[in-house]
This record gives sequence, structure tokens and C-alpha cells, in this order.
Amino acid sequence: MHLSDRVTGGFLVLLGVLAFWGGSRLPAVPGQDVGPAVFPMVVGAGLALCGALIAFGVGHSFEDEEVEPIEAHAGLARWLGDRRILAAFVPPALLLFYMLVSETLGFLPTAFVLVLVAALALGASLRLSVGMAVCAPPFVHLVFYKLLRVPLPAGILPAPW
Amino acid sequence: MTEMLEAFRLVAAPDVLIAIMASAVYGLVVGSLPGLSATMATALLVPVTFYLSPIAAVATIITASAMAIFSGDIPGALMRIPGTPASAAYTDESYAMTRKGQAELALGAGLWFSAIGGIVGTLSLVLMAPLLAEMALSFSTFEYFWLAFLGLMCATLVARSSPIKAIASMLLGLLFACVGMENPGGVPRFTFGIADLLGGIEVIPALVGVFAVSEVMRAMTTPEPPPLPRRRFGSILAGQWGLTKKYQWPMWRGNIIGIIIGVLPGAGADMAAWVSYAMSKRFSKEPEKFGTGHPEGLVEAGASNNASLASGWVPALLFGIPGDTITAIAIGVLYMKGLNPGPTLFTERASSMYALYIIFVLANIIMIPLGIIMIRVASLVLRAPRAAVMPVIVLLCAVGAFATGNNLFSVLLVGMFGIVGFVMERNGYPVAAMVLGIVMGTMVEQSFVTSLIKSDGDVLPFFERPVSSVLAAMAIAALLWPAGVWVARRLRPAEAAR
Repeated sequence: MHLSDRVTGGFLVLLGVLAFWGGSRLPAVPGQDVGPAVFPMVVGAGLALCGALIAFGVGHSFEDEEVEPIEAHAGLARWLGDRRILAAFVPPALLLFYMLVSETLGFLPTAFVLVLVAALALGASLRLSVGMAVCAPPFVHLVFYKLLRVPLPAGILPAPW
Repeated sequence: MTEMLEAFRLVAAPDVLIAIMASAVYGLVVGSLPGLSATMATALLVPVTFYLSPIAAVATIITASAMAIFSGDIPGALMRIPGTPASAAYTDESYAMTRKGQAELALGAGLWFSAIGGIVGTLSLVLMAPLLAEMALSFSTFEYFWLAFLGLMCATLVARSSPIKAIASMLLGLLFACVGMENPGGVPRFTFGIADLLGGIEVIPALVGVFAVSEVMRAMTTPEPPPLPRRRFGSILAGQWGLTKKYQWPMWRGNIIGIIIGVLPGAGADMAAWVSYAMSKRFSKEPEKFGTGHPEGLVEAGASNNASLASGWVPALLFGIPGDTITAIAIGVLYMKGLNPGPTLFTERASSMYALYIIFVLANIIMIPLGIIMIRVASLVLRAPRAAVMPVIVLLCAVGAFATGNNLFSVLLVGMFGIVGFVMERNGYPVAAMVLGIVMGTMVEQSFVTSLIKSDGDVLPFFERPVSSVLAAMAIAALLWPAGVWVARRLRPAEAAR
């Protein structure tokens, strides 16, 4: 996911222009010159300016160069090889999964899958992964449901407490 | 006096004491794990504080952050991996001491001078806050605007990256803060018809996403750090008194620099540690020993980062402007608990403020015994495989985000901010600046728009009042500072060539 400064700078210019345009279309407060439009327009203009400067490489001399670690990768990152950056998207995907199914499936089964997949992706052994996936969710459930009274969904497998 | 007694009563409540102990252990453990920063520890605690009494909630934040900043020194000294960014400044030094066989001295110095720094920082908070509160009562929206702007600019200076990228990150944060209906017109802004966005982007999911999820994402793509060799420690505190006497002057300098940097809105423990370490080397009688396992810089920077932690609460409590990312979280908790930051907090809720001071002192005192235990069990804790810790963090992110509003949309938001944080970090955009932008966005906009309405769209009144002109000068200096550095760098080689 290492993008060139031209790409990120260009994206910021686009975002800034969109924010400026979007802001300028907001309805004004009757009888006032200054309303909800001003701030997004100022921010958008600033963002577009910064984006342009970044795209032209201004300020690049202040940055440190990133060093690629030399140790061996594990888990999904090793399996993916040069495309290991994709492994980074496992956690957000798991959160999306949690959002979509936790209501119907219930907290405990959802959390089981979540922990299991994350542990395996990080290169844990099957025994450790299953162990974590079995032990951690009930503990988290106990703390949040019992102690903090967060209404975690019961779903198909309600907790015994 | 009655308020002081009331404050002691507040702190002595069983739930507060339990909260302090539990969050102390939590902060020590999370802070010591490499890759899990003090900010992340604090961000993951916020959903828990929802369900605590106000004083207990603030106590958990104070205690956990102080402990985590100290225990970040542990993997730094033992494995040369800073546990938190605030320890990064002197990690090489303390690791060099460990290699010389002085691990106890290095870790002990981290603990002892952290505690001293924390207590001195608290004293500065006690002394400074009421004085500044008097002054703050006369502040108008112009001063608030410049103060907030100064905070945002400082946050971009702290980032050790391209200043333009830092400013861009900050603006991005401000743009995120624009989402929702809480704007001068009360109209839905940038909500794209999504009902969940009408209330704006909540700070907590953003924090958890940027600091916790993106950390797990990074762990997914980087190799696991090497395991820590098992070792036994001698006495941790032996020799610390000697160091205190020998390096008394650097210690005080570290405390004072830490306090000053902490009070500056936007600059926190990380910057305090870097500045103090550099200063220690600059003014030392034996600068050639730095980097070879010399405790002097450790003393100064270790005191400094903890001192800044306490004084960072000064702008947070008085103006609602965070001193760093940890106080940014704390401000959210204060609002949530009805302790809205502002100068009147010190007159109307004096007992709560005293309670806060007591908690600070208490946290820094229990840090010493708990810290010694933590150092002794560190080799056990640090052996926990990353593949076992990180999945639980993901689960806590999901549950924590859900708990903030019993709303599954927050879980999605956490994941999105994880991606944003990860991509930004990879490309040199400092995420802390963005977070401060999100936290301060509403306040900046409010003070900016109100000021503009007052001045009829004119910019001149922003500079007319004495305090606001001083603050404006500081903020603009902070904005132009990187350009000055760049010019100076350009000129120097030219002179050398001559």
C-alpha cells in the first residue's frame, strides 16, 4: 500500500475540491453571511493546496525512508508472498463480518470465527488459534455483558449467564 | 478545605479504587507489549468508562495512560523495541545499558524518574490551572479560535514527517468533523443520505480504528519480533538515589521541559521525550557517552515524558483543547461524564478537580511497586505470542465500538478508520494530527464561525485583542516554522561550500 506522493497528493486535491464544491452548495442561514458553508470551503481549499504541494514533492526532505524488515514473515503474509499487503485487510474485513452477522448468529459464534481467523492469519498454530477462539469470547462477553451491561446479541448460542 | 475532604471521599470510593488498580495493571501490560501504544490502551478503555462513575472514568484514563507510558520503556530496554512512541527517543540508550549488563539500572531509571516526572507534572497542573482559569474567563471566541488553531499547528510540528503531509492529515481530520448536523446551520452536511451519519462521526470509533485496528493491520504484514530471552533481575531501585543526586539538574530540566511541552496544546509525551533527550545531550558534560549506555539522557527524557502527561491536562481541562492524543481521548470522556472542560470547572466542580489531582499523585506512587512487579514478570508477558494478543484486540475493537452507542454502524466505522489510518501511516501521513483534527473540528468551526459573524466577515478583529494577537503570532510562527527550517538547511551547505 505504498503509494507515490503524486497519487496521495492528487487524491487530496480531488477531495479538497469536492469538499469546497459540496460546502458551497449548502444552504445559508437566513440573514447571515456566514453559515455552514464556510468551514468546509476553507478546509477544502487548504486540503487541495496541501495535496498539490505534496504531489510536487514539497516537504519530502523531512521524511524518513522506510526500511523493509528482514525477518521471515508468518501466516497469511508468508502465504501471499509479494501480495502480503492484502493480509492487512483481514482485520477490517472481520469487523465488517461482525457487523453483518453478529445480530443473527449471536456474539459467541461470531467472536469465535473472528478470533480464529485473525489468529490463523497471524500464523498461530491451529491448536493455539482454536484455544484462543474458544476461551477469549466468553471472557469478553462476561466482562461486557455482565459487568458493563452492554446488550451483546444472543443469537443462536446464548451465553449460560 | 471542605472541597479537599470531599475530593478525598470521592477518590476513596471503592469503585474508584478498584478502577485505579485494574486500569494500572491493564496499562502496564498493554504499554509493555510492543506495537500496542499508550494511546491505543487508552482508546480501548473508553467504551468501558461509559459504564463507570465520572471520577472512576477519569481515574482509569489517568492511571492507564501514566502506566502505559512508563511500561513502554520495558521492551525498549530489553528488546530495543519501544513499547510506546514516547519511549522511542531513548530506546537505543537503554538497550545499550542492558547490553552492558545494567538492565536493572535502565529499567529502574525509567520507573523512578517516570514517577518523579509524573508527580512534578501534577504539581504544575495544580499550580497553573487555577491561575490560567482566571485568565481564561476573559477569553472570547477569537482567543479560543487561535488557541485551537495553535493546538492543531503544534500537532503538525510534533509529527516527525513532512510538515505538509501533517497539515494535510490535520485538515482531513477537520473535514471528517464537518460530517453531520452539528454545524452553524443545523443542516445535514456530507451525510450522503445515511441516517447514521447525521450525528456526525464519533470520535471514539475513529480513535479505536486509527490506533488499534490499523496496528493489527500492520501486525498482519510485518514479521513477529524476536522472543525475549528469559532473565532474572537484581534490585530495581538500587542506585536510583545515586542517579537522582548525580543528575539532579538534568532531571529538573527534563521535568520543566516536559511541563512546558505538555502545556502547549497539541504537543505531548513523544515530543517531550525527543526534545529532552536532545537537550540532555547538548548540555551534558560528557556528550560523547550518549548512545553507549549512559543514564543521563534516560533520566532527563524519562522524567520529561511523564511530566508532560500531567501538564497536558492543563489545556484540556481549561479550554477543551487536547495536549496530545491521550488527552484528546480524555476530553471525550470528560464531556461524556458531564465534566465539560472550561474555566468554570475549577469553580463549580472544584472537588472533582481536587480528586483528579489526587488520582494523578496516587497513580504515580503506585506506579513504583506495580512497576517493579511488572519488570519482574515482563519476560513472561512479553513472551505472549502476537498471534494470540492481536485477535483479542480485534474482538475488543468490535465490542468496544458497539458499546459506545449500541450501534453496529460504529463497528463499520472502526474498520474504515483502521484502513484510513493504515494507508496514511504507510505513506508518511501522521495519524495523530488527523485525530486531533477530528476531536477539535467542532470547536474550531464554532469559534471560527462565531468570530466571523461577530466581525461581520472581517479578518482584522481576529488580531485586535492583545491575547488573541499573541496567540495568532504563535500559531502563524508554528505554521511557518518548517519553511524556516527548510531555508536554514538550504543556506547552511551553501555557506560550508564557500
